[in-house]
Amino acid sequence: MTTIVTTPQVIERRQKGPGWGQVLLAAYVLLFFAFLLLPIAIVVLVSFSSSSFIVFPMPGFSTQWYYRIVEYRPFMQSLLVSVEIALLSALAGTVLGVPAAIWAVRANTNAAQVFTNVMLAPISVPAILLGFSLLYMLSALTLGVSFLSLLITHTVVAIPYISRTVLAVYRGIPADYEEAAAVLGASRAQIFFQITMPLIKPGIFAGALFSVLISLDNLPLSFFFGGASSSSLPVVMLSYMQNQFDPSIAAIATVQMLIAIVALGIVNAIYGVDKLTAA
Amino acid sequence: MSQPAALPIAEAGEATLRSRSGRPFQISSGLWALPALIFLMAFFIIPLAANIARSLPAEDMFRFYAVLFTDPYYLGVVWQTVKVSAITTVACLLIGYPVSYFMVRFAGRWNSLIVFLLIAPLLTSIIMRTFGWTVLFARKGLVNTMLLGADLIEKPENMVNTEMMVYVGLIHVLVPFMVLSITSVLQGVNPSLEESAQILGASKLRTFLTVTFPLSIDGIATGCILVFVLTNGSFLTMLLLGGGKVTTLSLLIYQQFTLTQNIGFAAAMGNVLLLFALIGMTIQLRFLRRKGVK
Repeated sequence: MTTIVTTPQVIERRQKGPGWGQVLLAAYVLLFFAFLLLPIAIVVLVSFSSSSFIVFPMPGFSTQWYYRIVEYRPFMQSLLVSVEIALLSALAGTVLGVPAAIWAVRANTNAAQVFTNVMLAPISVPAILLGFSLLYMLSALTLGVSFLSLLITHTVVAIPYISRTVLAVYRGIPADYEEAAAVLGASRAQIFFQITMPLIKPGIFAGALFSVLISLDNLPLSFFFGGASSSSLPVVMLSYMQNQFDPSIAAIATVQMLIAIVALGIVNAIYGVDKLTAA
Repeated sequence: MSQPAALPIAEAGEATLRSRSGRPFQISSGLWALPALIFLMAFFIIPLAANIARSLPAEDMFRFYAVLFTDPYYLGVVWQTVKVSAITTVACLLIGYPVSYFMVRFAGRWNSLIVFLLIAPLLTSIIMRTFGWTVLFARKGLVNTMLLGADLIEKPENMVNTEMMVYVGLIHVLVPFMVLSITSVLQGVNPSLEESAQILGASKLRTFLTVTFPLSIDGIATGCILVFVLTNGSFLTMLLLGGGKVTTLSLLIYQQFTLTQNIGFAAAMGNVLLLFALIGMTIQLRFLRRKGVK
């Protein structure tokens, strides 16, 4: 009996449960996610429509639009270009950005600070300005509208996305580990590949994943370089949309989403996405 | 790179002393940054500098900027750019803050699901999301069909191609950035501070206004600057959902490039956007530095 008397507060709280304010907030959050996901869900739905224009209720179910996008050469070609550019620019961004970030974290100088700001700046510069400026620059170098130009442009944006996460991760790692290895006689190469790299790997993976996702969808950068062999998917989708309004856009958008999900899945399988957010 | 390798393994006190002198062991040298530096010089700094030169024609240096800031039409576009970005930013803050608050205080084991749902839209293209709004609100779209079915309207209304739709599209794309920015700061706010305020007699509203909100101001600032700058740079939403009713600098650059090919003028407009971005970056750096001091 006495135990019950001493815990009236606990009982009272348990009976009250969540307050109405909390319930209201939870309802709001549900509504928020409905808003966030509804347009995406509706596109996936429309991609299976049997009608050749967008109409509700949908007359029937069909996978014809998926056949249509496979047959429509510009879609497949540009999808390939987009995936190649996304992967290659992430790779180039890693090769250029990671060593630079490693240096910038440990070098305790003003120059390193300025360099860090420059390295991160391409994220903040409006992409349309960057694409526009680079088009004229690369044309002057006779590269003009080409695959290489597109790759260079996307690499400029890949560098900050990759170095940003590497900077954050490497900053949290004390120099002691590398120092200890050096004291124990490890060579520079050994320290780099056996100590530094494993420690900053989460940062590289997270940054590269971001970079790939951004690159796949970077229309403002890409549309300046939309030549025959260098049109990326968003560029082709935009010009298709301005002429036609049929569900094949929904189908190709769904395919693009699936590719992004697969990319996330691969990183998850190799590395674990929970580790990415922990970084 | 001095002689740390020659030192015996330091005791704790010695180690802090040495790092205070600013010379811990460093695997890298300035050479490591050289490739990135050269690349960014060639393909980032120089192109932007050339673009500034391009916007200043030799015969009449400030001609383009003079038109931009005196001609009523272009001045209107500059004004609309700032207006659209400001409204979008405030709307994202108002819509996003409660979600952040819920995530940090109440989500518990649902938290990782919520984070996933916030990031999920980033896996889809902006074209897809914009197209989704068109499908929902077009003349034969879902909303019209439903309203017709419920006899709420007599004939289908075109709800796409309005200013409202542009805001809906922009908020939809940008609000996750706001929520993630605020959440990361709000996570560091100790809930016992709020409890203390309430125990001392503050109402829930007052607790929020005088404790929670001020403590999350860094996240709010980061989120607001991010959303503002990103809105400035976007033109796809205006192009696909605005139907020519909302013209901002980015959209005008796109149009100048595809239609009129007025290079110098497009360059000048781009530089105005760059100026907005630089102002945003400066404010952000200020905030980060202040945080570093704390």
